[in-house]
Amino acid sequence: MSTDSNKPAVQTTGHAWDGDLQEYNNPLPRWWVWTFYATVVFAVVYWIMYPSWPVGKSFLGGVKTITFQTSSGQEVTTHWNMRARLLHDLQNGEEAVKQREYLEKIANSSFEEILSDPDKLAFVRSAGKVMFADNCAACHGAGGQGVIGLFPNLVDDAWLWGGTLEDIHTTISQGRRGYMPAFPQFAENGKVDNLADYVLSLSGEQGGDPVSIKKGEAIFQGEEGGCYYCHTKQATGMKSLGSANLTDKIWEIANVPGAKTYEEKRAEVRKVILGGIQREMPSWKGRLPDETIKILTVYVHELGGGK
Amino acid sequence: MAQAAAVGTAQQYNYDIVKKFAIMALVWGVLGMSVGTYIASELAFPFLNFDIPYITFGRLRPVHTTLVIFGFGGSALFATSYYVVQRTCQTRLWSDFLANFTFWGWQVGVAAGALSYMLGYSQGREYAEFEWPLDIAIAVVWVAYFVVYVQTLRRRSQPHIYVANWFYLAFILATALLHIFNNLAVPVDLFTLKSYSLFSGAQDAMTQWWYGHNAVGFFLTAAFLGMMYYFVPKQAGRPVYSYRLSIIHFWALIFLYMWVGTHHLHWTAIPDWTSTLAATFSILLLMPSWGGMINGIMTLSGAWDKLRSDPIMLFLITSLSFYGMSTFEGPMMSLKSVNALSHYTDWTVGHVHSGALGWVAMVSFGSMYHLIPRLYDTKIYSTRLIYVHFWLATIGIVLYITSMWVSGIGQGLLLRAFDEYGNLAYTFVESVAFMHIPLVVRALGGGFFVAGILTMAYNVTMTILRAKREQAEIEAKIAAKMAASA
Repeated sequence: MSTDSNKPAVQTTGHAWDGDLQEYNNPLPRWWVWTFYATVVFAVVYWIMYPSWPVGKSFLGGVKTITFQTSSGQEVTTHWNMRARLLHDLQNGEEAVKQREYLEKIANSSFEEILSDPDKLAFVRSAGKVMFADNCAACHGAGGQGVIGLFPNLVDDAWLWGGTLEDIHTTISQGRRGYMPAFPQFAENGKVDNLADYVLSLSGEQGGDPVSIKKGEAIFQGEEGGCYYCHTKQATGMKSLGSANLTDKIWEIANVPGAKTYEEKRAEVRKVILGGIQREMPSWKGRLPDETIKILTVYVHELGGGK
Repeated sequence: MAQAAAVGTAQQYNYDIVKKFAIMALVWGVLGMSVGTYIASELAFPFLNFDIPYITFGRLRPVHTTLVIFGFGGSALFATSYYVVQRTCQTRLWSDFLANFTFWGWQVGVAAGALSYMLGYSQGREYAEFEWPLDIAIAVVWVAYFVVYVQTLRRRSQPHIYVANWFYLAFILATALLHIFNNLAVPVDLFTLKSYSLFSGAQDAMTQWWYGHNAVGFFLTAAFLGMMYYFVPKQAGRPVYSYRLSIIHFWALIFLYMWVGTHHLHWTAIPDWTSTLAATFSILLLMPSWGGMINGIMTLSGAWDKLRSDPIMLFLITSLSFYGMSTFEGPMMSLKSVNALSHYTDWTVGHVHSGALGWVAMVSFGSMYHLIPRLYDTKIYSTRLIYVHFWLATIGIVLYITSMWVSGIGQGLLLRAFDEYGNLAYTFVESVAFMHIPLVVRALGGGFFVAGILTMAYNVTMTILRAKREQAEIEAKIAAKMAASA
């Protein structure tokens, strides 16, 4: 083993396993030892600075301090800890301070003041983009385009619940429940086709049988269907109920634009009449801060056809 | 002659158990890594869920980790530890029966675990998803492993215990401790698989990560260092670089690892002092970890030319390099300020895989290429295919790690970016969209790695088949000679 003629400078330990398995007894590499000592120094400094070793029922707090304000406005200085660090950052962080100044301005401004001030409007667009994407886009889509049949399009000119800033603010704060009853009884005697022909004719769709349209109108405007209760005699809908304007060629539920033939368009409308509608938008008051709802109101208003 | 020698070693040592575990390591490796590549593809292309609950990411992910850690890694450790303890103690493994019990118990445990996750049964503790009846069964198997190992060590015909055995024994003891304490739970009743952890809240989280990180520290590090300490000097044909270093870094590693688990919980509802201790002990762990790397790489000092001629050495040395890299990256990520960026991002996933693929899998591949021809008393079927495997694996790891750095660091930076008004600059979904390309590259890297282990499976199968054929030929020759002389 260690007695062969060209032995290395370092001896082996003199043990051998499994035939040729041996170990040199080289000293520890100096750089390894010194780097280890350096990590020890690092650790000790860290322990002095920050909360570290438990002592009895408490622990060493460390010499580094952090100052923050409690919810009652009292200034507190404590040893470094995560919670104090978070409060400190929320209160004094560079970005937080910048954002807070703007948020205060928004809170103290009317919608008109926001819309007429390019600086505030720019802030709203920047803040609204992320707020909308994180809270609204899941249903209304990344650009507010909605999903036909499920979630309203926010970029067109049609507003079921009104498109003024106040209306939008109410919608976001309180939520909305969109409801149309189902009319399965019209499945008989082709009445649903008459109604669908009439509804399509309201938006100028060509191809319906005039006799059928007439029959549909009678059901819609008469007591048999009673559709006019909500959609009005002019079929322009009512903001207070969220009932749709059927004359504006904008389709929220029935996918008429996506249908190719008249037959398919009629089938889309028929589905809505027979099945009804039940949609709900949650209330965001309490879930989002008031300024956030205000920002989202302006942001949504700016998306497209705000009135 | 050859036959006589083969019979001799087969009687002297229990090679049968080593063969069984080695083959199962490859089987689980192929399965587990394929599942990993599939779920990586699901993250890049979610339609691959096909709306089948059994194969969604949430269920297949523990299947992947269980198959690669416990199936592949565990079987490789059983195989090599049973081989190493016999060779270095120069004694036969104690109790064929108990050894066989550990084999069947472990294989059934891994398979039952994987199936139960696909059916939706999971304890919800990372790397400890087994429900309580399986936990108990695994504990029994593990105790049997401990008994076999210690009894074999006690019956050694060598005065000293070789360093590899210290690491294997530390791994066996620590794993028993971790497994039992982390899985302490109260079953809902005797006939359900559900149970409630004995710990609650932050204590439960800290217990889980004490387990989780030491699963990395003892199962995936100490044990594989044991593997390294036998197969590197054996394959290099040179003595281990430093006995002193091996003692110091062994005890330092064992002592320090137990403290660091809480660094998985930085910036959460844990006491600050636990966070600090976890971070500092992680930094202290850097050099003890590197001690193993130095000892392995320096063992080759003076015989570097082997890297040009021996693909097994390439595997072993590359694994040590990745070990060094990931044990540097780990302490950095455990610093609170770095962790604030890296936590909850793909960087963590990349870090784990630089250890899991680069270190654990590569050192296992190298060791198995050394081990299998010796078990079957033959030569490897194709050395060229070992090179092919090496390059496939290395390309796979590099693609994996770099794509996860891009994805993870990018994700972290996007989520903390502000615009000139102090507003968040990006939405969450934008960070998801950004990750798409890196996720595709990661899946591709996984594909390379799977191609590598498939190459190995083919090479090993051909090696074993040839060994069987050679054996049959020798037996036929002997029979012919006997007949002629009779």
